[in-house]
Amino acid sequence: MKQSSRRLFLSILSILVVILGWYALTSWAGIVPPAFLPPPQYIVTDFFRVVTSPYVGNTLVGHTLMSLQIVLGGFFSAVLIGIPLGILMGWFKRIEAVVDPLFQLLRPIPPLAWIPISLLWFGIGLKSKIFVIWLAAFVPCVINSYTAIRLTDPLLVKAALGLGVKKQRDLLWEVAIPSSLPVILGGVRIGLGAAWMTLVAAELLASDAGLGYMMQMARRALEPSVIILCMLIIGILGALMARGLKVLERRICPWVKQEEH
Amino acid sequence: MNGKPAKEKIVAEHVSVEFEKDTKSFLAVDDVSLTIQEGEFVVIVGPSGCGKTTFMNTIAGLVRPVKGTVSMDGEEITGPSAERGVVFQQFALFPWKTVYENIEFGLKYRGIAREQRQEIVRKYVQMVKLDGFENSYPHELSGGMKQRVAIARVYANRPQVLLMDEPFGALDAQTRTIMQEDLSEMFVSEKRTVVFITHSVEEAIYLGDRVMIMTARPGKIKKTISISEENLVPNRRQMGFDDVIATKEFLSLKAEIWSLIKAEILAKHIY
Amino acid sequence: MSRRSETFLNFIYQEEIFLSLSSILGFVLFWHILTDLLGIFPSLILPSPEKVFFTLYEKITVPVGEERLFGHVGISVVRILVGVGLALALAVPLGILMGWYEDLDSLASPLIEVLRPIPPIAWIPLAILWFGIGLGSKVFIIAIGAFFPALINTYIGVKFVDALLIKAAKTLGAKDKDILWEVVLPASVPLIVAGIRISIGVGMMCLVAAELVAASSGLGYLIMLGGDDLKPELSLMGMILIGILGLIADRVILAVERKVIYWKKE
Repeated sequence: MKQSSRRLFLSILSILVVILGWYALTSWAGIVPPAFLPPPQYIVTDFFRVVTSPYVGNTLVGHTLMSLQIVLGGFFSAVLIGIPLGILMGWFKRIEAVVDPLFQLLRPIPPLAWIPISLLWFGIGLKSKIFVIWLAAFVPCVINSYTAIRLTDPLLVKAALGLGVKKQRDLLWEVAIPSSLPVILGGVRIGLGAAWMTLVAAELLASDAGLGYMMQMARRALEPSVIILCMLIIGILGALMARGLKVLERRICPWVKQEEH
Repeated sequence: MNGKPAKEKIVAEHVSVEFEKDTKSFLAVDDVSLTIQEGEFVVIVGPSGCGKTTFMNTIAGLVRPVKGTVSMDGEEITGPSAERGVVFQQFALFPWKTVYENIEFGLKYRGIAREQRQEIVRKYVQMVKLDGFENSYPHELSGGMKQRVAIARVYANRPQVLLMDEPFGALDAQTRTIMQEDLSEMFVSEKRTVVFITHSVEEAIYLGDRVMIMTARPGKIKKTISISEENLVPNRRQMGFDDVIATKEFLSLKAEIWSLIKAEILAKHIY
Repeated sequence: MSRRSETFLNFIYQEEIFLSLSSILGFVLFWHILTDLLGIFPSLILPSPEKVFFTLYEKITVPVGEERLFGHVGISVVRILVGVGLALALAVPLGILMGWYEDLDSLASPLIEVLRPIPPIAWIPLAILWFGIGLGSKVFIIAIGAFFPALINTYIGVKFVDALLIKAAKTLGAKDKDILWEVVLPASVPLIVAGIRISIGVGMMCLVAAELVAASSGLGYLIMLGGDDLKPELSLMGMILIGILGLIADRVILAVERKVIYWKKE
């Protein structure tokens, strides 16, 4: 038990040192100018400032909700289309043969690279952002799904056949899909991360609302404290969403041993 | 027996070991005391999970007992050392090193010069009959071969005590028999102090000078049988495995030991 | 092995290259049919493949902005190499030390856990504020992106080395320092290399992002310019080049991986 309390002590110590050092460098000794790195307390005051009163068009809450809406919209539609498509691609060789080359081409191109084309196709509004975010989440969902199905343990299939399962459809539902769930959910998790990142990029480039837009405006106004505030919120939201998915994973796949890091 | 008194090599006094799993702690080894003489081949046999590996780990210095002490040559054992070499059930070979480099490993830390190392490695490669495989990597070898490398690696390091934790447990029955004969041969030609763990009764009787039967967890020594001292299975070390297990002495000994272990397994419902 | 798993799991070059080439050709043909033959998409929305190739050909000699095509490619490559190189030079040693020394782990983890969830792209505004629009901000973003995957993978590789191998080394006489060099490091190489592969992938993504937002050269810049100037063929060309660059980088790393991890046969 001594080990974990030592660990806790050192962790808290390091947090304190970082915050105090940050404070000392910026506010107290004034070595670093506030336009470059704002003192830690500015971030707190800024939080309270923008949480209720509007900043570039909307409150912090408003911008956050905008960003979340777009991300979740694109993400869910990607998942709903991507997973079934991936499963079908993995199970039916013919579908895979037709669609796979398309994915191998799409995969190395980062979804963000689609933003300019997307703007051209859909204009500056919501649609162009949702498209890119959808793409970002779609590709990993599909790829993970069909990879997982293709790698279904043939031993399990044989076991099912030997227990009387005859129809292809039953094999798919009873063996292939359940055993692929962990990897499929992994793909969903990757997709969510990619979608979130792509959203931030899209908002940096062409938006008039949202956290990314807020950051971009704060930069123009030379207010790094607001930038950092938004960064932290983006980070926290991303982590929360990932954590939420992990919890969901554990519920859906209770048989998977969880790693302990 | 010649009149020289046998030296006490390993002495365990009232050793108890606690184990922690999932925040629960339980007693793995319960008040075990024993003495192992120099040059003896001691086998500890018992049901799965009875604590024999844990006890051996206290001798290896990989685990500290919560009560009692284990000493070698009068000095308390506080950590692992090259003088107490271990052969693990899962081989533990370094996958990125060749057979030669694996066997050579411990010799470097003993400060042995390269030419001498070559000689030593060659000798033990021959002893475990792996000539020609010096430059192979572990993944290219069969299970039996891997274990032979593991044994050669420890033997080459010349430890005073050899600790073997179910070394043949991961091998198929046929390979296992041959390895047992090989080990017996090696022990006759180069005598060391050996502590050997197994749950095979046949293996215990075939290899051991003394067999200690451990109870189910928490492990205690239930009974000790001195096979060599009381010449219970005559000429054992000069015969092949199949010949030994056919003798009536072997069979009665096996029955006796097995009934003791079986009683433990059934009583504690651990199957 | 069924043919399915064979084509998937096998990295035999010939088979893969043949499949890739034929699928690419098929796709280009399909694209050509959609645009030129059937005229479904106006060329403003989806230019025909010939137009994209022509642009590619043209830009090799005619500069866009201040550079010609290979200049842009070169600038992007330099940014990636410097950014990823910097990140790896910091992340790998730090990961090893953190994995080996528990105290360092306790000290450094909190800061890392706070910074890690922030997507590298979210650092762009700050980076621009700090470093302007020059090489510095791009390298910074790429480095931030590449840093964490490499750090985490190295850390896990070192920290969770098979305890059995360490026990074996101890019982053969190796001391702590020897164990780090002779056992832990070689054993964690697979994970470290996997982390590097991820780092390069993230790095490429950050490159594109940084070049889209604030650059006047590079492939990302070309992509963005295509959108601004209403020349989608330019954007598409840039995207395809990025894709090819990514594929090449991935292949190179895979080859390196196979050489370095010679002892594992799956």
